Formats: sequence, structure tokens, C-alpha cells
Amino acid sequence: MKKKIRLIVNGEEKVLTIDVQQTLLEVLREDLGLTGTKKGCNQGECGACTVLLEGKPVSSCSLLAVKADGKAVTTIEGLAKGGQLHPIQQAFNEKGAIQCGFCSPGMILVTKSLLEQNPNPTTAEIKEAIAGNICRCTGYVQIIEAIRSLVP
Amino acid sequence: MTDYNFIGKRIPRVDGLAKATGKATYTVDVKLPGMLYGKILRSPYPHARLLKIDTTAAQQLPGVRAVITGEDVRQVRYAFVDTPRYPADEQPLAVDKVRYIGDEVAAVAAESEAIAEKALSLIKVEYEILPPVFHPEEAMQEGAPVIHDEQFEGTSFWEEWGVTEQKKAVKQNSAVNNLSGHTLISFGDIEQAFRESDYCREDRFELKATAHCQMEPHAAVASYDPLAGKLHVWLSTMGIFLKRYFLSRALNMPASKIRVHHTFVGGAFGGKIDLFPYEFCAAYLSMKTGRPVKIELDREEVFMTTRQRHPIIVKIKTGVKKDGTILAQDIKVIADNGGYRGSGPVVIFLCHGFSFPVYNVPNYRYEGFSIYTNNGIRGPQRGHGAPQIRFAIDSQLDLIARDLGLDLLEIMRKNVRKKGDVLPNGDQLNSCGLTECLLGAAEAINWQKKRKQFRTMENAGRYRRGVGISLCSMFSGAMYYPFASAAVVKLHDDGSATLFTGAQDIGQGSYTTLSQILAEELGIGIEDVHVVAGDTELCPIDLGSFLSCTALVTGNAVKKAAADAKRQLLESAAELLGVEDLTRLKAQQKTIFLEDNPEKTLSFSQAIQASVLKRNGNPIIGHGSYKGYPRAERYPSLAKGKGLFTGAYGFAAQAAEVEVDTFTGKVKLLKVVTFHDCGYPLNKTIVEGQIHGCTSMGAGQALSEEVYLEKGQLFNPSFLSYRLPISLDTPESIEGIVATIEPSGPFGAKEVGEGCVAGILGAIANAVHDAVGVRIYSLPITPEKVLRALGRI
Amino acid sequence: MRLLEFDYFEAENLEDAVAHLKKYNGSCQIIAGGTDLLTALKQRLYTPACLVSLDNIPSLKNIKEENGAIFIGAMCTLEDIINSELVAKKLPALKQAAWEVGSPLLRSLATIGGNICLNTRCRFYNQSSFWRSSREKCFKAGGSICHVTNKQESCVATFSADMPPVLIAYGASVRLIGPKGTRLLPLRQFYTDNGRFPNEILTGSGEILTEIEIPTPSSQTNSTYCKFRLRNSIDFPLLGIAVLLILDKGKFCKDARIIITGAGSAPIEAVEAREKLLQQELEPQLIDAAAQIAASEIHPMRSSFVSPRYKREIAGVVLAEALEKAGGIRE
Ligand SMILES: Cc1cc2nc3c(=O)[nH]c(=O)nc-3n(C[C@H](O)[C@H](O)[C@H](O)COP(=O)(O)OP(=O)(O)OC[C@H]3O[C@@H](n4cnc5c(N)ncnc54)[C@H](O)[C@@H]3O)c2cc1C
Ligand code: SF4
Ligand code: FES
Ligand code: FES
Repeated sequence: MKKKIRLIVNGEEKVLTIDVQQTLLEVLREDLGLTGTKKGCNQGECGACTVLLEGKPVSSCSLLAVKADGKAVTTIEGLAKGGQLHPIQQAFNEKGAIQCGFCSPGMILVTKSLLEQNPNPTTAEIKEAIAGNICRCTGYVQIIEAIRSLVP
Repeated sequence: MTDYNFIGKRIPRVDGLAKATGKATYTVDVKLPGMLYGKILRSPYPHARLLKIDTTAAQQLPGVRAVITGEDVRQVRYAFVDTPRYPADEQPLAVDKVRYIGDEVAAVAAESEAIAEKALSLIKVEYEILPPVFHPEEAMQEGAPVIHDEQFEGTSFWEEWGVTEQKKAVKQNSAVNNLSGHTLISFGDIEQAFRESDYCREDRFELKATAHCQMEPHAAVASYDPLAGKLHVWLSTMGIFLKRYFLSRALNMPASKIRVHHTFVGGAFGGKIDLFPYEFCAAYLSMKTGRPVKIELDREEVFMTTRQRHPIIVKIKTGVKKDGTILAQDIKVIADNGGYRGSGPVVIFLCHGFSFPVYNVPNYRYEGFSIYTNNGIRGPQRGHGAPQIRFAIDSQLDLIARDLGLDLLEIMRKNVRKKGDVLPNGDQLNSCGLTECLLGAAEAINWQKKRKQFRTMENAGRYRRGVGISLCSMFSGAMYYPFASAAVVKLHDDGSATLFTGAQDIGQGSYTTLSQILAEELGIGIEDVHVVAGDTELCPIDLGSFLSCTALVTGNAVKKAAADAKRQLLESAAELLGVEDLTRLKAQQKTIFLEDNPEKTLSFSQAIQASVLKRNGNPIIGHGSYKGYPRAERYPSLAKGKGLFTGAYGFAAQAAEVEVDTFTGKVKLLKVVTFHDCGYPLNKTIVEGQIHGCTSMGAGQALSEEVYLEKGQLFNPSFLSYRLPISLDTPESIEGIVATIEPSGPFGAKEVGEGCVAGILGAIANAVHDAVGVRIYSLPITPEKVLRALGRI
Repeated sequence: MRLLEFDYFEAENLEDAVAHLKKYNGSCQIIAGGTDLLTALKQRLYTPACLVSLDNIPSLKNIKEENGAIFIGAMCTLEDIINSELVAKKLPALKQAAWEVGSPLLRSLATIGGNICLNTRCRFYNQSSFWRSSREKCFKAGGSICHVTNKQESCVATFSADMPPVLIAYGASVRLIGPKGTRLLPLRQFYTDNGRFPNEILTGSGEILTEIEIPTPSSQTNSTYCKFRLRNSIDFPLLGIAVLLILDKGKFCKDARIIITGAGSAPIEAVEAREKLLQQELEPQLIDAAAQIAASEIHPMRSSFVSPRYKREIAGVVLAEALEKAGGIRE
């Protein structure tokens, strides 16, 4: 069964006809070519597929695309504006928070939402915020440091 | 310490921004026009004979472009270990038998993933179930089901290269059933030494299989160009040349007809080096259909059918003098390598190779067995044998310390090897900071104050703390195909340079450290270095990112290539400046100047222009190469442990502080300390990042990670039930870098990022003992095991 | 694994939804957040012909207090619950439980209705179709044998949702709408204790859960939820215990409820442990005694990765902790 949906992806309106059984992750990667959103497990257990749905981080592999109809979706491609990196991206790179980089899009988006809701998180709150995102490379230390460096 | 511009500096990763913005292309992101999707049908049985495969219905399904089975590729054999003694035992698709749950039976290429999946369900397979065997000690017994009974033929790839002698394949050893590899090494006289020992102790340790959990699932894209006869592949891999070699042998194509293209790699940790059936099938299906084919594994397939770390049983007997000096050690290791050999014979060799550089044990006997069972295949994983053996040896040493009323720290200190030592196989320790690492780690964990060992359990509260320590060592590269790394440095008109390297950045930061080496040596900025890597067509050979060789071996190649370019540059400049003696010239920030007259300068651009115009059109291209181990001619014998292993060993001491909840058995890791002798840190942020990654992985394996198997079936093929560490598990982490300056390393660097996964296991086990006074002999230390040991359940 | 094809129906009102469920005659399911359902569909645990979404029915997203009761719409997300001041003030244990479900990336999708309707779990069942093909089909999957007990026609899969124990402790009821109209059912009666069909809806009643009704707790109510798991995020409870105490003068136990998840095929009430507490002063010895009793009231099975023995031991520890917390003896 097909359905027409409207997504606001990184500020741009996209009207698409999709199969109802497609996940948001599949629509982003396959129909829109936004491969910055990664698939690590495809069942809600790793956070590689994190996008912001109306500003909130969600696992896009665990969400039917039809359920995002009419909503705003931010992917990693939407962060750097006009060739200008987002400060979070900058901090992640400087602090060594990126190794293989496969978890990084998700981590960075979660950080964005965290800092918007709570510009002054404690280390414990930072750890809680990224507790759905698995990183095998960094042992999280430099990721936590990178986020802390963004706290005034 | 020498004042460098880039070496030792916290230079941000050169590939970081591509990754931070989602622009970095991984294999899973590759999409080619007209691409088909492949899927693999797998055996649900651990041991069965294939009677009949009927693919008719699948072939007829609209959208299916090809279906292949073992019949199509009957003659193809390959394996990670392919030596005269241990001939390749893997086939891309099962021919007569399946040997573990997940073994590949057929492959499909179709217009979409959904069609390919549907097609799999239409393939009918008839099996005859055979009796399976899952425990290596049972598999070794007479009368156990025989897993491999086929005959092997053909020449191994070691013979092709002449790095090994022609030998007959070992027949199934009559004494030990299902033997896939055997190592026996001894020196000194252990029997005599045990008799002379004041105290002997024998223990048995056991470690479960663990998973790599690279966040990027395994994937391959293949595109065959029939006109040129050329196969293009995109692979998520650690070693492009080794993969190409495997592929060329398996497909019976000249290596130059295969091109591995660059992609970013979303984590590897040893698990992306073997040639996998899905890679072969993608290539084969593309050749068959004339269309590009992509195969991406599900997370469950990654867990079940790629590779796991070997579950290992270690039995050790150690004899010591009263003061803790080790006199003799007798070690027996049994590794379960699953349905195929994987890296079985290698891991039992490395359990020795990665451990014997730590303590000076004058009388020593080591015997390793790798055994076939009907479990999933085991291969290299970060440390490859080191975590298992180091856990066992240092756990036992802790027990000995307690038995003798000695301080573990003192025993370790007494026995560790030192700089200048020559190992029994002839390897030299030209740098060795074990003692400094040990003392540094002990101080950072506050050993004297926190160690409970000598205090009675007066504080018997619910939560108890303790500290532990352990040591580890690791090769820095070795002799393995293609046996060397080379690098090319091409200068541009503007004085910047492009580095061509076959090395892959698998997350460990090699593009960055290699750029630093190049910039430092040549005298340009980091932003002036462009990296072209991971492409077999564009780049010179490289060992690949395993056996921890990138820093030392590839690093040296890059340094030499940069030096070569610089020499040519200076020669050209010397002519212009009218200088005879090149040593008077210095290069920095793309400028050449006279050391004794810094006012007199020439830009790189000018020197390059002059070279083109005056030196027969030479645009300046530097070359460099470095052998895996310059002193070694042959690959060491895995079976006898003879021959040279590596040019330099990295070392580390690791300490842990834990808090044990004696009511629930949960162990909380409070603090980890790693003091790492990595020669010289090329980039501190990267070295620390590698240490964090290692300690986190090691902590997971010590406390919660376990591939849970029953009857060959993997019960936790997901991140939900395979409990690797998450952010909330992150302990306080202290890193100390012990710079010993390895003479053979580029700027003194050697191994980093692999060895220090190993010490953390023993450190945690010893800390748990310190905290609650009981020893857990098997990893992971689950809450349940702790409560059992405490007698609460 | 990709999802198989299905039809997708966005109901504009509950009657439509019920009618649609009926039309497909069993081969149709409600999708709420989908966090659990999507994995189950990928694993081919169910292969419905149609999914019915309740996204367009705003009344299911309310949280309000009226006439001495708190009403929570089934489509409220766990995040809505965490952010609700009303919940924080009146039902603190519910907030606590919501906060501990899954991971932060799921909580803004996952609904309370979906959590209540969560199927039981088992290490032989919650696996891919390929995985399950290695063995004979188990009873829950439509076969005849149970791999846990080796018995026929029985299923002991574990109920593992976090929210229901707290809701039951608070005395919640659920409102269901179905072909036969609406009914209000005490939540405890919604569960069947049958591992295969653990709740009324899964037995095939064709109903939809619309609302949860909780009597506003009195000011003497102390409640808490203690979740024990092996990893502190991305993990179901190995055991979760909700405790509600009505304390007089801060210590005297007038009433108590102890509900346990992760220990059987339904949320389990520790009846004898409760008896032990009633009309007593809450103090350490009593707590220990009650904990001992509770541990013997559960009969966990080997449907998860730890041994039943371990679970029983932990039950005592976690209950003691929960009682201490609820009784204000511990932070
Ligand atoms: C990685 C991971 C970790 C998790 N950890 C936890 C955990 O720790 N604790 C926990 O409790 N859960 C956990 N879950 C399960 C799940 O995410 C939650 O239980 C969630 O609350 C389910 O809500 P949902 O809206 O997503 O339900 P859905 O997935 O949409 O539905 C679940 C089931 O309920 C039915 N259903 C839903 N709403 C209704 C309704 N209104 N009427 C009738 N039937 C309905 C559906 O048909 C389906 O069968 C986890 C899931 C994942 C993927
Ligand atoms: S308890 Fe038995 S019947 Fe139920 S899901 Fe598990 S194996 Fe199947
Ligand atoms: S891919 Fe979605 S959570 Fe792992
Ligand atoms: S950087 Fe590799 S998984 Fe996080």
C-alpha cells in the first residue's frame, strides 16, 4: 500500500509517495539519499539512526515513515549551515569524540536536543542523554568531554 | 624532548569533519545505478549433510536475477589461515555439509531487498542432520563427531610467496579429534624448575566468546565490468590488499583485475579482515548478472556469521621462589574456533606471542590447541589472544601473591622484562617501559592505600571496593601478506602534498597520524596534506590495519616517502640557492631556508617549479616502503613459535578499582588506569582515544559481554541482549603515556590501541577478588557468578 | 530485515478503529508508538494484513484529573508522562517507571498503552524467523512444545513491561472499547497469566485500550518503583518491583501493595509479603522478613538469561530496597 506523505526535512518540505511499511530510516536513506543517518541494528537498540523529530531525538528505524507525516525531521545533514559547522560538530572533532564516526551523527543530534532543553547539563545528565546511543570506539570518555566543553 | 611542530600534538582528526557532517561514505552507503540486492540463505542446523537444494521457485520469482549454490562454486576454497600445514577450509557456499548455524547455503541477487528475502524463503533445502559437538574438550575426544573430513589440495598463499617451506597438509591428528591447529613451544627445563620452586599452583580459567560490535554492519558492493574484465568492490575492511589477494585467489582472477575502492569503515576491531562469503557472493553475483550487487548483513547475521573472539580455556601451572620470582610456567590453551578454522592456529600462537614478552620466565612450556566445534566461526578480535591469556596469567599471579602473602605489585616488578632483553625467539626489546608503566599505574590507582589484600574483611558492608592490576604487550606489525607497506608522497605546485597510502582508517585515526608524520618530515602544514587512501588502484601496497602495524610500519613508509620528497625538493632548492651541502637546508611551513642564514628562503613552490623546469620535468614524487618486520625473512612458525615475530612490542599496565554490590553481585567499575608504553605518542588525543576504546571493550568483556550459546545457537544476537558498555558504564579514566622512544619507529612510535584491551580483564578480576575475597575464574564476571562465589545463592 | 507489506489505516475515531479491526478478522493490529511492534514485525512474530493507527484521535493523548481520579490517554507517550506535572506530583512512581523504560530514543515514541499491552517475552521467542527455524516451533509461536519447560501446550514467557506494576499498585483500571462496547476493567484483571496470550486483547477480544483511570492517591500514599536490570539503559527489567504504602504517622503500615514484573507471565502481586507488612511498624527487620517472603512468592522460569534462583535472590534485595525507599528509610 502506498501513501503520500509530507515531511519537513532539514527545513525543506518534501512530498513523497512511499510504501506504508517503510521506516523513516529507509525513507531518509533510500528515498531522500540522506545517508548520514546510519543503520546499526534496525531495531531500536543502538541510536545510529537517531534523527530529531520535532526537535526530539528518536530512533528512526523504529518509526514508520507514515507516522512522521507532516512533521519536522532534522538529520545530521541539516546541522552545518552555509558551509559553517555547528559548534557541536566542531567540539566533537576537536575533543576526539569521533573515531570511526558511525555513531557520530546520532550522538551529535542527541547532544543538540539535550543542549536545547538543558544548556547546563551535569555529567550525569549528559550520560543519561546519550544512554540510547552506543559507541564501540571511544568508550564515551571523549564524547562526554566534547559535550561538557559546550557547557558554559 | 624534541620540539616537533605536529608530532605529539593534539591535531584534530583529518577525516573528522566528513564524519561529523554525515558526508563520509561507508560501504553501507554505497549505491550504484542498476544495483541489485543480495541475500544469503543460511543453515539453521549446526551440523548437517546437504542432500538437495531446489532453487526453481526462487529463480522464477519476478525480480530475481540470479541464484547460486555450492554447486556453482564447488572448487573455491580460501581462508584466513592458508598454509601448507593448515590448508584453506572455507567455501563461499556449503558444498556437502553445513558446520554451524548460519553457514551459507545459497545466495540470491534481486531487484530489491524485499524480493531477495522472499526468494530465500522459496529455496527448498533437504538436510540430513548429523550429530553435533559444541564443547572443545568433548570435540577433542575419540569418537566425537568429525566436523571436517574433506581432503585439501592446492598451494597455500604462503607458498606462493616463498615465506614458508613446502609441507604436506597435516592429516586429521589421530590423537586429538577435530584438531584445527596445534602449537608447542618450550624452553628451559620445566620439570626441574618445578622441583626447585618453593611454591607451585595450578589453575583453570575460562573465557566466553565475545563479539566485536562494530557499529557499521558488514557489507559489500561489487560491480563487474565485463568489457574491461575488471571487478570493482567496496568493502568494509581493515586491509584492502589482503582482501584483494583473497578475492583474486577465490575468483581465480589476476589481482590487478580487482579494484578495492575506498570507503570509510565504521569500526573493525579485527572482525573485518577475513574474506567473508557475502563478499565473495556479491562479486560472483555481479559477474554473473553483469549488474552491481550489494549485500549488507543484518545485525543478527553480523553476530552469528562473521567472527567472534575465541572462547578459551587456559590451564596454568606456575612455580615460584619464596620471593615471587617466577621459575617455571606450564600453560595449556584450548581455543574453540567453531565450524571452520578461522584464526584458530593463529590465536593459539598469539596467546604465547602476546604474552611472553611480559615476564621473564626461564623455564616455560606452552601448548595450544585450536579445535573445531559446531559453533560460529572465531577470528581476530582486538588483542587476538592477549586478553584471554593475560587474564589467566595475571589472575593466577594474584592468587600466588595472596598465597605467599606478597604484594602482587612486587611480584610483577620482580619478573617483568626490561629494555635490552632478547626474547627466546630472538626478538629484541629495544624499548620497554613495563616497569615505569607498572609503577605509574599503581600510583594512579592509589595501590598502597586502596589495596585490601592485607586487611581482614572487617568492613563487611553491602558495597565493597577493591583494586587490581595487570600487564599486557602487543606486536607492532609482523610478517603477513603483503609483507610490507609503501607510501607515495606527491607534491603539488603550491607546495602542498598528497599522501597515497593503502592503509585504512578504521577509526583509529591513521589518516591523521600519517598526515602528521608527513607534515613533520616534509615541513608543511597539516592542512597542506591531502590523503588518498584505501584504494588498491591508486595506492601502493599496505599491510592493512591489523596486528597494530599502522603506526610503525606504514608510519615508517610514510616518513621515508616524505623524506624522499624532501630530499628531491632540497636538491632542487640547493641548485637555486647555490648551496652544496644539503644539510645546511631546512624546510618548514612550505619554505626552505638556510639554517645558518634564515633570511635566505625559497618557497616549496619555487623549488618545485625549478625541479620541473630544470630537472628533466621531475614534479617531485617521494617513495617509501617498510617491511612488516625488517629483520624477519620468513613468517614465524605458528606450530613451533620459532622465528622472529615483530620489530617492537607495545606495553601497558592497567589498574582498576571496582565496587561490588554483595547483595546483587553487580560489579561497578569506578576507575580504570592505563599506563601505556607506545614508544612515542604521535597524537595524544588519538592515543587516549584508543586507550578509552580498549578499556571500555575490555571492561565489557570482563563484566558483561558474552556471546550466549546453547547447542550452537546464539541467543543474544542483538545489542539489547549482548550487553556491551553504554555511556552510563563509563568509569573515571586515567591515562599515562610512557614515552620510551622506539628506535625503529617513526619519531619513536610503536603499537597503540590494541594491547591495552588485554590488561583490563585481569585488573578487574583481581580488583573483584580484592574487594570481596573470592576469585572468579571465568569471564565475564556476571552478578550471578559473584553471588555464587559469595555463597549467597 | 524489512517489514512485509501491510495496509495502514488511520482511524479518525474509535468506532472506526474497532470496525476496522473487526473487518480484518484477527489479522489486524493497533500500532501505537510502534517501538515494540516494529521489531516484532521484523522478526515475523506477527504478520498482520493491516495496522490501525490511533494518531488522529486527540482524545487519547490527554492527561487530566477529574472527580478524584487521574485519567491518562492510551496514546500518551512515556515522555508526556515524564513531563507531566500532575504525574510528578500525584503518581511519582509512574514517572520513575516511565523514565526507566528502554532508552531516551524510544521514550518519545513509546506510549503507555503500548507498554500496558506489551506481549510476554522469551529468549526462544523474541528472535528472528531464521533464528526460530533452528528449532521446532514453540507453543507461543503456534507449535506444541515449550523449549523452556519441555512441556506441551504451556507457555511461561515473561511479562516484562515496566509501567503495569506501578499502575496496578496505584489501583488503576483500563477502559477498553470493542465490538461489544466499552468496559472498565481493573488493570490486574486485564492480565491472564497465560504466557501465550497474556492479556485480554491478545486473547483476541478485538478491543482497543483507550484510557487508564487511577484513583488519586491519598496524601498518606508513598510509592516507588525499583527496576533491576543488567545494564542501566537499553534494557528490559530483569525484575521490577512497584511498592505502594499507606503509612500512618509516617511509619505504621495501614495498607500496602507489592507488584512485581519480570517474574512470571503477568505482573505478580506479592500477597503474603503484603500481609506481613499490614498493621505493622515499618522497620528494618520487618522489611527483611517481607522481602524473604516475596522471594518465595515468585516462580521465575528460564525464559530469560539468568537463573530462576538468581531472580529469587534479587527479588528479596530489590523489594527491601523498594520498601526502604517508599518508607522513607533510604534515598
Ligand atoms: C531496545 C528496546 C528496549 C525496550 N526496553 C523496554 C523496557 O525497559 N521496559 C519496557 O516496559 N518496555 C521496553 N521496550 C518495549 C517498548 O518500547 C515499550 O514497552 C513501549 O512502551 C511500547 O509502546 P509502543 O507505543 O511503542 O507500543 P507498540 O509497539 O505500538 O505496541 C505494542 C503492542 O501493544 C499493542 N497496542 C498498543 N497500543 C494499543 C492500544 N491502545 N490498544 C490495544 N493494543 C495496543 C500493539 O498492537 C502491539 O501489540 C523496549 C523496546 C525496545 C525496542
Ligand atoms: S516459554 Fe516456551 S512456549 Fe513460551 S515463548 Fe518461551 S519457549 Fe515458547
Ligand atoms: S539502527 Fe535504529 S536504533 Fe539501531
Ligand atoms: S566512533 Fe565508532 S562507534 Fe562511535
